[in-house]
Amino acid sequence: MRKKIGNAMKYIFLSVISLISIFPFFWMIVAATNESVEVTKGTLIPGTYFMENLKTLLASDLQYINAFKNSILIAVVTTTLAMVVSSAAGYAFVVYKNKTRERVFNFIFLSMMVPFAALMVPLFRLFSKFSNLGPLKVIALNTPMSVVIIAVATAFLIFFFKQNAQTFPKELIEAARIDGLSEVKIFTKIFMPTMKSSYAAAIIVTFMTSWNNYLWPLIALQSPEKRTLPLVLSAMGSSYTPDYGMMMTAVVIATLPTALLFFLMQKQFVAGMTGSVKG
Amino acid sequence: MKFKKIAAMALAGVMTLSLAACGSSGEGKKDAKKDDNKLTIWAWDEAFNIKAANEAKEIYAEKNPDAEIEVVTMAQDDIVAKLNTSLSSGSYDGLPDIVLIEDYRIQGYLTAYQDEFAALDDIASPDDFAAYKAGVNQVDGKMYGIPFDSGVAAMFYRTDMIKEAGYTAEDMQNLTWDKYIEIGKAVKEKTGKHMLTLDPSDLGQIRMMLQSAGSWYTDEEGKVNIKDNEALKQAFATYQKIVDSGISKQVADWDQFVGAFNNGDVASVPTGCWISPSVVKAEDQSGKWGVAPFPKMAENADSVNASSIGGAGWYVLKNVGHEKLAKEFLKETFASNSDLMNQLVVDINLVSTLKAAETAENYTKGVDFYGGQKVFEDLAAWQNNVPTVNYGQETYAIEDVMTEALQQILSGADVDKVLGDYQQQVEAAVAK
Repeated sequence: MRKKIGNAMKYIFLSVISLISIFPFFWMIVAATNESVEVTKGTLIPGTYFMENLKTLLASDLQYINAFKNSILIAVVTTTLAMVVSSAAGYAFVVYKNKTRERVFNFIFLSMMVPFAALMVPLFRLFSKFSNLGPLKVIALNTPMSVVIIAVATAFLIFFFKQNAQTFPKELIEAARIDGLSEVKIFTKIFMPTMKSSYAAAIIVTFMTSWNNYLWPLIALQSPEKRTLPLVLSAMGSSYTPDYGMMMTAVVIATLPTALLFFLMQKQFVAGMTGSVKG
Repeated sequence: MKFKKIAAMALAGVMTLSLAACGSSGEGKKDAKKDDNKLTIWAWDEAFNIKAANEAKEIYAEKNPDAEIEVVTMAQDDIVAKLNTSLSSGSYDGLPDIVLIEDYRIQGYLTAYQDEFAALDDIASPDDFAAYKAGVNQVDGKMYGIPFDSGVAAMFYRTDMIKEAGYTAEDMQNLTWDKYIEIGKAVKEKTGKHMLTLDPSDLGQIRMMLQSAGSWYTDEEGKVNIKDNEALKQAFATYQKIVDSGISKQVADWDQFVGAFNNGDVASVPTGCWISPSVVKAEDQSGKWGVAPFPKMAENADSVNASSIGGAGWYVLKNVGHEKLAKEFLKETFASNSDLMNQLVVDINLVSTLKAAETAENYTKGVDFYGGQKVFEDLAAWQNNVPTVNYGQETYAIEDVMTEALQQILSGADVDKVLGDYQQQVEAAVAK
């Protein structure tokens, strides 16, 4: 009996918590279907104004669709490159022994402590020189690659992959070496497939960070047609009389890709968070 | 030991980087100049100043068909962030030629980066604009900005609720705060509604009361003026009187503030004229609103029935590369064109600070939502009475600190003592 009451309490508590965490999403969707005035009045019933909001959104000068495309491009390229570069780095830090290895890793690790705001001005100056430097033009200011390049090798990801590579059985690598597999292939054919769930977790985190990234794109991307979603959303919110219905419609659409990615990779993501290699 | 070495290396690295950033800030100026003739304008409100810029662009294009002008919407905080990064690194890549900057912030920019802004005395004169704007955009007697929207404060009120409480529109004219509280109490008693909303984290009300008495957190020389500032003391006392009388409804943010009057929960909204577009959105309340001058503090001899909050102006960044073109654009549009202002009254409810606009046709028309009152004419007339104050460079930094002072005073601390304490705190905050 006592156990049952305990369980009931547990469920009530969990239900309340999940309601609280779901409420903002509910409110976001309700607001997207209502007129702006209704939103400020605090209406909590879904309305019928969604198509109108969508129309104003698409008709506005802010080039929402374009920003959506930019965001997808940047997030996908960043995530792909980051997976290759950072996981290779993390793997190398564990597998290859070297005298200065620890020192290099600590240096990278320390860079996590420098806040981005302190790097902003020097980074901006550095990147503004690239436009005159031949091949480096690709990553000059105002190109999508200038946003990508910053996020490809992050201390956090390298650390994350290093931790996960430590749980990877060394015997597998040695066995592969004896069988004559090259070092690159050991990484791509043995390490990568075994660590699938770690990659899933890293993909979600990287994609989300890139999707939500604000400060550097704000500084680096200059022409309006290059802007990403967070910048456009921010521009919408700064009106004296914001159109909340339209804004919420924009936000609903902006949350779809991350939500979709999460649901697709949910199983691996949870496994990746709780430890990867089995047996 | 090893860790220390690495930390030292990292620090040295960071310092070299920042040194390099300071050392060569001049060299970016030469290579950044653009060759093309495209003007870029930054502003932040799709429904307001962006629309204005776009209409100005059309007017300009009629006479100058070759002109290429790009208007960019960007959040105000983002504009601030981008200006700070670019100007402090001396790189003009992607900066606009013309930028809208809020009145409270511009003195900070003009002091720190005076060489970056173009003086505009050759295209306009301070006399062309509402007098109080002269305190905003001048440094060393030179005018650096073309004033745009007015921040003239007003008392938006519900005529039906005031009537129900036993008062008339006549009573709302030339109010003192004491009279306002008296009416508020009657409204509360008769209708059960609050008189106004107050947001304890926003000192806008204090700011308006201060300016109505020609005072500010800083004096004419820009020195922090809090301890012996009579107007500030009276403003805090008035604020406390309003809270104590129970006529105010507390709100936590902008959305609740707008929601309260859209929902009909409050009988009046004392704030800047720019709130009007939000007020008229509640179409079901059409004909039930009126606009009166801002109340004054009776105990202060300098206080008048006029004040200001917010407002902004256009500024030209001269090192971006199109100084002449940008000046020409402003000269033909915002600095002189009363037809443009006339059109903007209808399109964005603009209360212009251009004096020539006062006689424009649309200013003299009645507005149905306000029961036929000639709102724009009234607002334009009141803005000529707004006392001129020097906003200094640190209004927002000071308010961050003063918000706590207000809390202490509201919870019963002695006003003189609190202001004495905060004089030092604010001085320390500003010194940074």
